[in-house]
Amino acid sequence: MLRARWYKVINDLFGNKTRTLLIVLSMSVGLFALGIILSARTILSDGLAESFATIYPSSGTVRTIELFDEDFIESVRKMDDVQEADARRSISVRMQTKSGEWKNLTIFVFADYEDIRVNKVTLQSGAWPPPEHEILIERAALSVIEAQVGDMILIRFPSDVERRIRIAGLAYDPAQLPAQIDGTPYGYITFDTLEWFGESYGFNELHVIANHPEDKDWAQQVVNRVKDKAENSGYTIPLSMTAEPGQLPMNDVLQGILLLMGLLGVLSLFLSIFLVVNTVSALLTQQKRQIGVMKAVGGGTLQILGMYLVMVFSYGVMALMIAIPFGMYGARKLSSVLAVFFNFDLYSMDVPPQTYLIQAAVGLILPVLASLVPFLSNLRISAAEAMSSYTMGKGRFGKNWIDHFLSGANLWFVRKLSIRSILLSVRNTFRNKGRLTLTLITLTLGSATFISVFNVRASLSSTVEDMIKWFNCDTMFALDRSYRADKVQSEAESIPGVTKTDVWIQLPTRLVRRDESESGMIYMFAPTVRPDSLIVSPSLAEGRWLAPGDENAVVVPSALLIDEPELELGGDIVLKIDGDEHVFKIVGTFKGMAFLPIVYVNYDYITKITNRTGEADAVMIATQQHDSVYVDAVTRTLEERFNLVGIEIGLATTINTERRDAEASFDAIVALLLLMAILLALVGGLGLMGTMSINVLERTREIGVLRAIGAPNRSVASVFVLEGIIIGLMSWAMGAAVAIPMSRGLNQALGQAVMGVPLTYSYSLPGLWLWLVIVILLSILASFIPARTASRLTVREVLAYE
Amino acid sequence: MLEVDLHPKNTPVNPPDNNLVRLREVVKTYHGSAGTFTALKGVDLSVESGAFVSIIGKSGSGKSTLINVITGIDRPSSGEVIVDHTPVHTLNEEQIAIWRGRSVGVIFQFFQLLPTLTAVENILLAMDYGRHYPRLERPERAMQLLELVGMAEYAHRLPGSLSGGQQQCVAIARALANDPVLLTADEPTGNLDSKSTEMVFQLFENLAGTGKAILMVTHDNELAVRAQRTIRLVDGRIQDEFVNR
Repeated sequence: MLRARWYKVINDLFGNKTRTLLIVLSMSVGLFALGIILSARTILSDGLAESFATIYPSSGTVRTIELFDEDFIESVRKMDDVQEADARRSISVRMQTKSGEWKNLTIFVFADYEDIRVNKVTLQSGAWPPPEHEILIERAALSVIEAQVGDMILIRFPSDVERRIRIAGLAYDPAQLPAQIDGTPYGYITFDTLEWFGESYGFNELHVIANHPEDKDWAQQVVNRVKDKAENSGYTIPLSMTAEPGQLPMNDVLQGILLLMGLLGVLSLFLSIFLVVNTVSALLTQQKRQIGVMKAVGGGTLQILGMYLVMVFSYGVMALMIAIPFGMYGARKLSSVLAVFFNFDLYSMDVPPQTYLIQAAVGLILPVLASLVPFLSNLRISAAEAMSSYTMGKGRFGKNWIDHFLSGANLWFVRKLSIRSILLSVRNTFRNKGRLTLTLITLTLGSATFISVFNVRASLSSTVEDMIKWFNCDTMFALDRSYRADKVQSEAESIPGVTKTDVWIQLPTRLVRRDESESGMIYMFAPTVRPDSLIVSPSLAEGRWLAPGDENAVVVPSALLIDEPELELGGDIVLKIDGDEHVFKIVGTFKGMAFLPIVYVNYDYITKITNRTGEADAVMIATQQHDSVYVDAVTRTLEERFNLVGIEIGLATTINTERRDAEASFDAIVALLLLMAILLALVGGLGLMGTMSINVLERTREIGVLRAIGAPNRSVASVFVLEGIIIGLMSWAMGAAVAIPMSRGLNQALGQAVMGVPLTYSYSLPGLWLWLVIVILLSILASFIPARTASRLTVREVLAYE
Repeated sequence: MLEVDLHPKNTPVNPPDNNLVRLREVVKTYHGSAGTFTALKGVDLSVESGAFVSIIGKSGSGKSTLINVITGIDRPSSGEVIVDHTPVHTLNEEQIAIWRGRSVGVIFQFFQLLPTLTAVENILLAMDYGRHYPRLERPERAMQLLELVGMAEYAHRLPGSLSGGQQQCVAIARALANDPVLLTADEPTGNLDSKSTEMVFQLFENLAGTGKAILMVTHDNELAVRAQRTIRLVDGRIQDEFVNR
């Protein structure tokens, strides 16, 4: 037999179903947001590691200019420090999409598709191995090449051989950057098919697994040894690189996302707590008279406290019953979407028990702790005081400077205006300042997050723009080998629409550390540096860009200084070029991705020390007009011209395409952030609805008076809707201000994770205005439901309300 | 005291019997978890324009219910309630609210001024809802009403800073905002000291002389006899009805 006071708790919980539903929903939305973030974070981290382990990831890659055969692979496999080695042929070709546009396509050729030992590629659908004269496409690349399985596509090899080839199916190759992120699709064919394109048998890419693959420094040494071996065997090495152990190519970006998810998780936790405190305070205000009665009939403070804490605990249990399953479902959906975007398979959707424990702790313990403060302050008042209030509504108005500022004596100028109901709403807003503060904190955090997401989106665009704008050209061609610069430039300039050309050379280099160890491969770009050069300074993080007279000056990515602590701005860096060590001085750092190390040096100096004066590896071209249609047309004409005069093109790209691809690579981050922002906005909206419902309950008697003096339904409802809008607008203004430091923090975190430097800060005005519209709609919605309830009450009901 | 036009702008043509309020066989029954309770048991009542009527009776006799069905705050279970030609019992809540704002001034025991509006704003709000007076005339009339009840100097004070008597005077001014034909007051002096009670009652007596009908519920027999006519309710029925002067 339960004691009587517990019956009161049960009756309070289930007697007022609307209130219970509102409180439970408010709490569960916060817990849901927390659960979805914690669970998705775990699923993705585990899935990523597991998925990557199954493909036998390489420790590093060595690419050769000359082709090698199985004998060389065998000799590498026999090296002491090499656990496994495998090879493939890699060729950059051009393919024509349905829309007639030519795109880059990288084709891989394996000797035995059943025995790929490193960076395994597996079949997703269709025939395996790829049938003769047919191609498999990497599963993430279909959308990029605008084709379907079964379609015929036209492929042009650098040798100008063109063939129509059927897409036989899809392959899964998680070791490559997903095509939708870097814009390069991958295809897989057999050597028979390669021969059909007129190419000879042989490999040019060696993938090795070191015998201690988890040790990156060791793996790098092993890769360097393999490279040395290849060079000693007479092969030219244009590229070698070491992979981060156990990490996908896009790991940095994914880690950035996971970090943001963590930050948003903490934020949603705070929001949940504010919601709980808000709803509990409101509950107590409603129960004040009942607390007085219980005290009057002998209820002890601890007994009453116990009753309400059990009540809050029960709300937490109910909220968890909603939040845990929905959070789990949401986390699985979100993880699946992100896994598809980053192109890896999730083998398990299991979530460790500690995730539930955190949710349970937040849902059960925090509300109880958070509600102690309002409980204790309510319980301190005497029984007589608790029962004495007969006046209308709760919340005192007229006690401080805000009230005085808004009161009639100061607003003399509005006396002639017929805006009494507006004044009523404005002043009602400030009646219960504690509740207003909590509601504003919740909504402001939601507002700030939403606006910040748009700021991050704008900052990402600004960063991409910064990274691209230093190419002051419209289209670029990486050539298949070196050509005379003057020949390439004169051929290009003969095309109508081309206004200017410029060249650079590129070569592989390695950093030599003080302890004589060497880094993985670093791309060295040597553009011509003149005032009228088509390459202007990239987005510099520190220091300066190259000057025309510079000899051994080098500009490095800021991430390199973090990875290599012995390097500093203004200090020396030893770079190995063609086997010789050269000392350069670091004059500047630029914002660059950590996974793509590039250094910039002066064309004149490098061509002099490498005996390549007058050569070009790539050409940049500026056109008369800069829109996509015009630039694409000129690019096609240029391609045809180069083919005609025997200049073989490795890669062709336009700045517009680069910009589009770079922005697309951040879409996942932005989409995720937006999802989280919507979730937080929902939490804020529910908080506002809770506040407005409580306001309606507290002012029920006032509603009766309004009706008694002739207010129609619409007028009664509008008092509360306007109050909701005022709170929404205040939160919008405060959110807009809070978004400034919040966006900077997010830019810092995301930029550091992805590029080693903060993103270029940008404040998104469209985001600000969009949120204004949303917050007004949200406020109307959140206050309309309680307001409509209020307007439907009969006068007798509300005047009789206690 | 200033002269205030308390006569309705569009004075309705009274029915031949000159009754402003007419109740016929009004029954009001409440159904609750404790059972059924009939508060009014077939009440017939007529109140002519300009009458000052007090309603007395014990607690639970149906006084407040009677006044509530007349003002449309409550609905009769059966019977007819006609006020100023309007069959109130046939209107819906929305129509009643609008009708009440224009035709009836309601005065409560606990004043029920909106705490975030000043005295004059409380009156203006009622005018805004009633739309009986042109917008530009409203502030001036609101001040005149406050002067009528002796509260002009407190016009821009919030209700929280006024005494109970002062709040009730403002509430009376608010009830007069749209120049109603009928004023109802449920225990208007029940929460006031004797000095304030006298002040408020004086106001009612003055208003009764201006042609408005006043219906006042009270426990206080001494006050009741100062009205022109007193109705005694016992168990939901009119037991006595007498003219005081």
